[in-house]
Amino acid sequence: MTHLDHRYDQLIDDLKSEYRPQREWAEGRGFFLIVGHFLVGLAAGAWLFGLGFEDSFALLSGWLLAGLGGLAHLVNIARPERALRMMTRFRTSWVSRGFWGLVFFMIGATVYLVTLLAPAAIGGTDTIIAQAAMALSIAGAVILIGYMGFVYTASKGIPFWDSNLHPVLYMSYAARGGAAMVLLGLAFGAGTGIDAEILLELWLTATALAAILWILEIQGAYASRDDAAIRSVRDILSGRLAFAFYAGMLLIGLLLPAVLIAGIVAPLSSAVMGTVALASVAGDFFMKYASIKAGRYLPLRIP
Amino acid sequence: MRLGMVIDLKRCIGCYGCQLSCKAENGTPPGVFFARVLKQVSGKYPTVQNTFLPVLCNHCDDPPCVEVCPTGAAFVWEEDGIVDVDHDKCVGCRTCMLACPYSQRFFNDETRPYFGEGGATPFETARASHHQTGVILKCNLCRDRVRDGGKPACVENCPTVARIFGDFDDPNSEVSHLIKERGGFPLRPEKGTKPRVYYLPA
Repeated sequence: MTHLDHRYDQLIDDLKSEYRPQREWAEGRGFFLIVGHFLVGLAAGAWLFGLGFEDSFALLSGWLLAGLGGLAHLVNIARPERALRMMTRFRTSWVSRGFWGLVFFMIGATVYLVTLLAPAAIGGTDTIIAQAAMALSIAGAVILIGYMGFVYTASKGIPFWDSNLHPVLYMSYAARGGAAMVLLGLAFGAGTGIDAEILLELWLTATALAAILWILEIQGAYASRDDAAIRSVRDILSGRLAFAFYAGMLLIGLLLPAVLIAGIVAPLSSAVMGTVALASVAGDFFMKYASIKAGRYLPLRIP
Repeated sequence: MRLGMVIDLKRCIGCYGCQLSCKAENGTPPGVFFARVLKQVSGKYPTVQNTFLPVLCNHCDDPPCVEVCPTGAAFVWEEDGIVDVDHDKCVGCRTCMLACPYSQRFFNDETRPYFGEGGATPFETARASHHQTGVILKCNLCRDRVRDGGKPACVENCPTVARIFGDFDDPNSEVSHLIKERGGFPLRPEKGTKPRVYYLPA
């Protein structure tokens, strides 16, 4: 059986099932959409935290991650040669706005990094060019964070995503990822002068917000009494995505960092902060994987 | 003019004629169904009822697929309100598939003839040659036929005349009368898309 035969059989099975799982943004080239959203969310958070804490490591990693995230988005689309067309519908389409956000971010961040790392080239970070580039990069980062949440909310065919909380959830995850990237820099000796305790408090606040929003999302899915949304939640809590949820999101992304920060295993050190940061980032990936893959299409029935 | 369809669930016998005629007309590849028939079993023994629900693109007045499309590939024809795809503009991001509350958009990922290794039949070659890969395919109410004064293939070929095609803007059209007189209803009205495919109760 060829892979095309297999995909055809799978599609027919999906069409026969009442709660058809979305595979468009989760499997095959669609997996790169998950990777792309994970990377640009992390990048935007790292950039904003890097600017706030004046941390070159977070700024550089944010720029690099955004570039990789952009490439992942390109792999996700089937006709990358037409990608520039995606700039045309920014008035209505969040995908188009996300494209603009990435363009703003990459231009602004690149110029700002040049002024930061090679001030002899076009002047230091106090110049008008640097300030304008920073403003552009911030605008791009904010658009990127917003785009990810709103693009799901606009998906009326997937009831689990069709929630007003989704954008806020993605914002909280970007903040969590940003704090984690600065922590990671601290672990590698970057960011001297940054108060690790303040950073950890910020990470904990963003994590607590993300956890509350997750609980509200799940409660909202049940409260909506939408069968497809409830089925998605069941996929996450007790179905095909339970491993990603319990092992990835909860154990690695939440419990492990919490235990390490509490100092139960070892006193706070560079190694511990690095582990907290990496665990947090890994947990964020599993969160995006689980929530995107859990999407199921709205079933069609006679009312 | 806003073209749309009324489907009489009392008349539909679930013969799949609409599905087959659509495939023949549009030469859609395996896995792409512009017209589908869903079976729905209701009630409990001994009063079980089998209902057929033919579905297709609802050509919404407020189509979310058009709103989310980043390139303008998804668009609405101004003269008749048909929701269509400009395949030359589509980047294959699949956002519209997820935005459609009716799951009526299909992604044509790769060329795949019906008979596998035997290659495409002359019929498939003739009918499907205009389909691009890596783009979205969807029902456009057989717009070429309609522009020539005909009706969509699924309407023409329905043996029980369960499908009625017409102008929703004309209060005297058959579709407008049927919806009014027989209590026509759309699917998923709560999504606010103002669909133009209505169903008459079984």
